[in-house]
Amino acid sequence: MVVGDVTTGTEVLVVGAGPGGYVAAIRAAQNGLDTTLVDRDAYGGTCLNYGCIPSKALISATDVAHDARNATEMGVHADPVIHTDEMQEWKEGVVDQLTSGVEKLCKANGVNLIEGEATFVDDSTARIAHGGEGQGSETIDFEHAIVATGSRPIQVPGFEFEHDPIWSSRDALEVEEPPEKLLVVGAGYIGMELSTVFAKMGVDVTVVEMLDGILPGYEDDVSRVVKQRADDLGIDFNFGEAANEWEETGDGVVVTTENEDGEESTYDADKVLVAVGRQPVSDSLDPEAAGVEVDEQGFIPTDDQARTNVENVFAVGDVAGEPMLAHKASKEGIVAAEVIAGEPAALDQQAIPAAVFTDPEIATVGMTEEEAEEAGFTPKIGEFPFRASGRSLSTGEDEGFVRIVAEEDAGFILGAQIVGPEASELIAELALAIEMGATLEDVASTVHTHPTLAEAVMEAAENADDQAIHTLNR
Amino acid sequence: MTVKEFELPDVGEGIAEGELVSWQVSPGDTVSEGDIVAEVETDKALVEVPSSYDGTVKELFAEEGEMVPVGDVIISFNVEEPEAGDAEAEAPDTENKPGESTEEAKTDTEEAASAETPDGRVFAPPAARRLARELGVDISDVEGSGPGGRVSEADVRAHHEKAEEHDETAAETPVNPAAEDESAGASAGAAASTTATSGEAAREKTLAVPATRALAEELGVDIDAVPTEKTRDGQPFVEREDVRAFAQSGGEAAEAATASASATGEGAREETVPYRGVRRTIGEQMAASKYTAPHVTHHDTAVIDELVETRADLKETAEEKGTRLTYMAFVLKAVVAGLKEYPILNSELDEEEGVIRLKNYYNIGIAVATDAGLMVPVVKNVDEKGLLELADEINDLATRARERSISPEEMQGGTFTVTNFGAFGGEYATPIINHPETAIIGLGAIEQRPVVEDSEVVPAHTLPLSLAIDHRVIDGAEAAKFTNTVKEYLAEPTKLLL
Repeated sequence: MVVGDVTTGTEVLVVGAGPGGYVAAIRAAQNGLDTTLVDRDAYGGTCLNYGCIPSKALISATDVAHDARNATEMGVHADPVIHTDEMQEWKEGVVDQLTSGVEKLCKANGVNLIEGEATFVDDSTARIAHGGEGQGSETIDFEHAIVATGSRPIQVPGFEFEHDPIWSSRDALEVEEPPEKLLVVGAGYIGMELSTVFAKMGVDVTVVEMLDGILPGYEDDVSRVVKQRADDLGIDFNFGEAANEWEETGDGVVVTTENEDGEESTYDADKVLVAVGRQPVSDSLDPEAAGVEVDEQGFIPTDDQARTNVENVFAVGDVAGEPMLAHKASKEGIVAAEVIAGEPAALDQQAIPAAVFTDPEIATVGMTEEEAEEAGFTPKIGEFPFRASGRSLSTGEDEGFVRIVAEEDAGFILGAQIVGPEASELIAELALAIEMGATLEDVASTVHTHPTLAEAVMEAAENADDQAIHTLNR
Repeated sequence: MTVKEFELPDVGEGIAEGELVSWQVSPGDTVSEGDIVAEVETDKALVEVPSSYDGTVKELFAEEGEMVPVGDVIISFNVEEPEAGDAEAEAPDTENKPGESTEEAKTDTEEAASAETPDGRVFAPPAARRLARELGVDISDVEGSGPGGRVSEADVRAHHEKAEEHDETAAETPVNPAAEDESAGASAGAAASTTATSGEAAREKTLAVPATRALAEELGVDIDAVPTEKTRDGQPFVEREDVRAFAQSGGEAAEAATASASATGEGAREETVPYRGVRRTIGEQMAASKYTAPHVTHHDTAVIDELVETRADLKETAEEKGTRLTYMAFVLKAVVAGLKEYPILNSELDEEEGVIRLKNYYNIGIAVATDAGLMVPVVKNVDEKGLLELADEINDLATRARERSISPEEMQGGTFTVTNFGAFGGEYATPIINHPETAIIGLGAIEQRPVVEDSEVVPAHTLPLSLAIDHRVIDGAEAAKFTNTVKEYLAEPTKLLL
């Protein structure tokens, strides 16, 4: 023990106040457990501060400008001017409101909040180093711990984020003055979302990607819709190239890339956004000190109750493995807290939906056709294109489609892929359908409001049985 | 065409597995409903398994000689697709398929339902899944009542209640064997029903602390087979002493021991013989009886010159009528006469209820040595049958026991057993009671032996008797008196006419 330490005790110690940790803490407190939540940075974690929320704020703001600029077809003529500093101010306001809301919710539920960096001493003790010089530390004895330390952006060697022109996604979201030319390394969902934001701000965006297309993991006909729109926005794609090095020039940087055959290309840019993925944060906590296993990639393996190999230590969210999604983290947090409270909770969800906030949006849940086949089902597919939706046409957003994958016999819904307007909202109905064991008929027979985009979901279900009204059944 | 799977049916009360002795069909063969596809040797008998479908054999899932648990899929058929309208009519059919002539074969519809879903996927809403966790129910075992087999909360509850009832019934079985035939009944000195008599359970799930599981593993005991009445959270719960007791009483331990012996491989100095089927049932039955009932054996000798004469006199007449008159028929008659006088020997101890059940019927088991081991066919209602009828029935049962064509029912429901080890020579033995009966009489070889008559040693035909009793129920005096009565009737067989 370090001199000056104060030892306190808690039933549940939650490390990390992101959507995994704060949700776990609140649920643990709701279940009557004495709960302590520690975070070294900010309530709400990456999601609220540097991820989902600020990015969606900027996406919406730039959408407003972009849509206004492109509404002449609707008879609207406008030339919007973007004041990036004001946009940032508004975004910060949104973030502040949410993070202070999280703090209040935690307090109102009786969660003890501590700012500092937690490190395991053993499987029942952690030391919390308070931020900054001379702020001391304290030791906490815990009965159960929930590790929710999240993830951080992966750095490409040579392109470390401490260099000023090299941006992480977090830097990009905090931009006060948009660059003229932006080079984006990585065409995954973060790279694509931010490329779109900057393109709509009027920035000249170039994307280099090692793989041969955007959004790996999504089916070609889904990602193609997004790629087409990105092309229309003037985003320049260069596939099969890896960023090798960069050097500062007078007024910017030159980035050199190399393809498989060793051929080099150079790109001029003012800033370089590196968005090649995220990796778990499990080092600072020293999980091994508590006997908790960490795998080669830095993830902490857990069972279906979010429990690590150590009986009283749980791990939730990004640090507990893919998919790195806030809603997955929250679900795991709830399960961990309930298991600690002695309830028979388990991660038994049939599917976890995912959304990409590109233009248009992509949202998926459950199995693709191929995955259903691999799992041994005979899949039955229903599709409905948004161009056949009245509501879709009347918003001016008519690209994309809804696809539902069901099993043949009873028509149980196994999965869905949506690319198009409000895909991220529409997917919720199909996630519920999967979770409830609903069939195509259940969805098709549910009356959907007209005129809405959600009708496309109903029609896709009907189409699987060749019963769609507003599209030709294949 | 659809593929139908067929599980090894429950071929007799409580039989948990059977040895697949032979396949009567090969993949590609065309079969009709009712055709015999396989022969399965259970604890007691060779049972023919009929097909439940018309179609062609697709795949065989067990090797000849393999032990197959009841409920495992053993064969699949390609079957013509039923008309759409038949689909519903077909569903209830699975409970009671036609063609299960031999036994009340029953396929597990629950398993059938889950087997149809690829990927082990169960279609059930979150609330039903949570309830299943709460109740400790494996949701993939639950038969869904919703469209396409969707599982509701009510289905989970129903499954849970059914499972509990099942557990209770299983626990009660040995308590109520007075009900003839059906349950524990008792049959063969050796080959009674596994569940009933050895108290072996066959649960799907058992709660136990890890140390108990480790012990079970060490002793080679299947923890789901350990009998228990304890529960935790509504689930059967087993503790270490239960595992030990079960292992001692036979259980599966011996089998595991055999297995490990063969694993060590002693070369030609040792040979391993599978301990299973009839052999294992005998073993379990013997152990259960010997460990449960304190045995006392009473020995005496009947002088039966008169019986030998009587039989010799009647033998020819019987033969004219097509009957081979054996001593056994006389013995059965004498035994029943004794039992009528001392009904305590025709009884059963019901510890659960705290009562001794005296039987007013006389079903006498006769131990028969067969190639597969000891079998005990039961002659029913001996008191109501004449000598010739008895002799015919005994011969018939013994022959069919040796040929293995006897049905399990014919070896159940006994109230007292006679074992004729004397057929192979010898005088006295200490027979093991065919539990839950309370007495067994063993017959030595009938020979001329010296007896003292009027202070002189003379040769006489004698029949040595060895009566083993369950001393919890029967006292030595009663054993002696019963034996005296039997002796009297054997010595003066004309008394049997009365």
